[in-house]
Amino acid sequence: MGADIFEISINIIKILVIFLLMVQIVPLLVWVERRGSAFIQNRFGPNRVGPLGLTQLLADAVKFLFKEEFVPSKGKKFLFYAAPVIALVPGALAFASIPLSAPILVDAFEMFGKSWGPYRFAFQGFEMGVGIVFVLGISSLGAYALLMAGWASNNKYSMYGALRACAQMISYELALGLALVGILLIYGTFDFAEMVAYQEGPLSFFFMGKEVIVPFLPNWGIFYQPLGAVLLFCAMFAETNRTPFDLPEAEAELVAGYHTEYGGLKMLMFYIGEYGHMLVASALMATFYFGGYNLPFISTEAVNAFFAGFGFSATKASIVTAFALHVVLFTKILLFLWVFIWVRWTLPRFRYDQLMDLGWKTMLPWALANTIITAALVLLMRTEWL
Amino acid sequence: MSPLIAIIFLGTVTLLFGSALLFVASLLGPKPKYSSVKDSSYECGLEVQETGHSKVPIKFYLTAILFILFDIEIIFMYPWAVTYLDFVNEGHGVYIFSVMAVFLLIFILGLIWEIKSKALEWE
Amino acid sequence: MSPTIFYSLSIVLVVFSLLVVLCKNPLHSALFLALAMIDLAFIFFELKAPFIAAVQLMVYAGAVMVMFVMVLMLFDLKEDEESAFSGNPVINVFKFLSAGLLCWAISSKLFSYGDVAGLGAGKEFDIKALGTTLYTKYIFAFEALGLLLLLIAVGAVALSRTKGGTHDS
Repeated sequence: MGADIFEISINIIKILVIFLLMVQIVPLLVWVERRGSAFIQNRFGPNRVGPLGLTQLLADAVKFLFKEEFVPSKGKKFLFYAAPVIALVPGALAFASIPLSAPILVDAFEMFGKSWGPYRFAFQGFEMGVGIVFVLGISSLGAYALLMAGWASNNKYSMYGALRACAQMISYELALGLALVGILLIYGTFDFAEMVAYQEGPLSFFFMGKEVIVPFLPNWGIFYQPLGAVLLFCAMFAETNRTPFDLPEAEAELVAGYHTEYGGLKMLMFYIGEYGHMLVASALMATFYFGGYNLPFISTEAVNAFFAGFGFSATKASIVTAFALHVVLFTKILLFLWVFIWVRWTLPRFRYDQLMDLGWKTMLPWALANTIITAALVLLMRTEWL
Repeated sequence: MSPLIAIIFLGTVTLLFGSALLFVASLLGPKPKYSSVKDSSYECGLEVQETGHSKVPIKFYLTAILFILFDIEIIFMYPWAVTYLDFVNEGHGVYIFSVMAVFLLIFILGLIWEIKSKALEWE
Repeated sequence: MSPTIFYSLSIVLVVFSLLVVLCKNPLHSALFLALAMIDLAFIFFELKAPFIAAVQLMVYAGAVMVMFVMVLMLFDLKEDEESAFSGNPVINVFKFLSAGLLCWAISSKLFSYGDVAGLGAGKEFDIKALGTTLYTKYIFAFEALGLLLLLIAVGAVALSRTKGGTHDS
């Protein structure tokens, strides 16, 4: 994690802050979800506790703490408690492996009579060479928490909800994985930071082996992969088990799905896991298709030079740049999170056979077609045929 | 040092956070008074018909198996996608395209066969 | 790869694998198998093979899920589960003997590879090299694998068919 005590402690603090970032975004999102749904349905929503009802969630959290502990008598007690805790892990690990801003470069400096060498702190929990494959692998573990919850509850509604959730998650994971191949073909790397760096500047692509520049569009992935972006976003909805894909908790058939027997804080933890998945999905969308933490047309170096122009030292300029770009990424993430909420309160739920048909018979073939077309186009455009 | 330590550290922090929340809630919350009615599984107030530990349709099993097969095929496409640009730039574009074309042809044949044999039908 | 990390990960792996075999409830076995797979992914990761590690997570997480569902499907878990070491004492002797033989065979092989620190040292992860080798040198194996996966799919569909074939319901 680091060569000396300074680097190690900064890295530990960084990981803790990123984890808390994920946890603290949940109350905010629940508030947005409640107020947003009220806005869409033309009612008020929570508006009594605090300004605009902002502290409603704090009051709810306190209430959750004082709920009674209930375990179904014939259920598996340990698994029943373990499932909500484990539901937190995939979201946290996946979120920590996505770069949230440009890396911070710290020059050598003097402290406590010792000189501390130059450092480079990536604005993410840990740097993986295979970023996106790691995220896919980690998020495929998310199904276990649901299966454990369903099994431990000793309730047929929970069990069927969990089985449905798993079948749905694995079905859409195929479409998700295949939609990603197109973007990998364009960027030629697994690394998030390299993908973001690729999307700097105006739109430029090869046509018959010659470079063409379109000055009025940013070099974003969405212009190379429009179909892939749509497929990926749809698959993300299914992966997070949200409407219109919330069959696991279809209340007309399954009471509440896998968390039928859960209440209080344990239920809240499933929600934190779900919102964590949403956060990861939004961050991935922003990184793959919408320029990541960069502003359109403006490269990271330009922002750094801009702040250095104010007379900051190199270290300070780097820190300010990182935080400014972090705000840029978070704006994009929040826009996608709003789309998640917007869709939930707009679209009705699928029927189960429709859901599986959409995954296997519509999205999988389309993702395949996207892969083949992208590969063929890259081959045609990059080669000088004459 | 490797990111593995960071991964394990974050995983531990997450598990500790969750367990601490559960522990605090169990300290603060009232102890439930168990009775035979309260203990039984939720069944909308009716007598419990069957619990969750009964057998499940074979359809879920088939879906899971097919998922693994397709997942492996997709994973084999990742190194291909990442190295594709290099091959194209070196002038071997047609070769690397045809490599995956054959593989994808088998993939598509499999998908068509599964749809035709109604393995993916849910009723 | 430092020996400390290697041995601690390996001991955890051995413990999880033992629990897979010794658990009374087949469902718990499946869950421990998932944990063992995650631990194995960590070892791959430490050997500078992060792509294989991620693939390990993706594929084997799914594979263990299949076992989980299969356990739910095939076993009648309402009855009390049988312990691994109950029943006929003669059979138990054979169980211990074969387990001991296996342990001896593995450990005799294991300790001949003393140099743990050298594993994965000096290597850097290179996905391009992997791709280039896979799609030029091992091209035949790669295409044959596609065909093999198709065959498995056909077999799985045929096995799980509820209507048609020999079943007339």
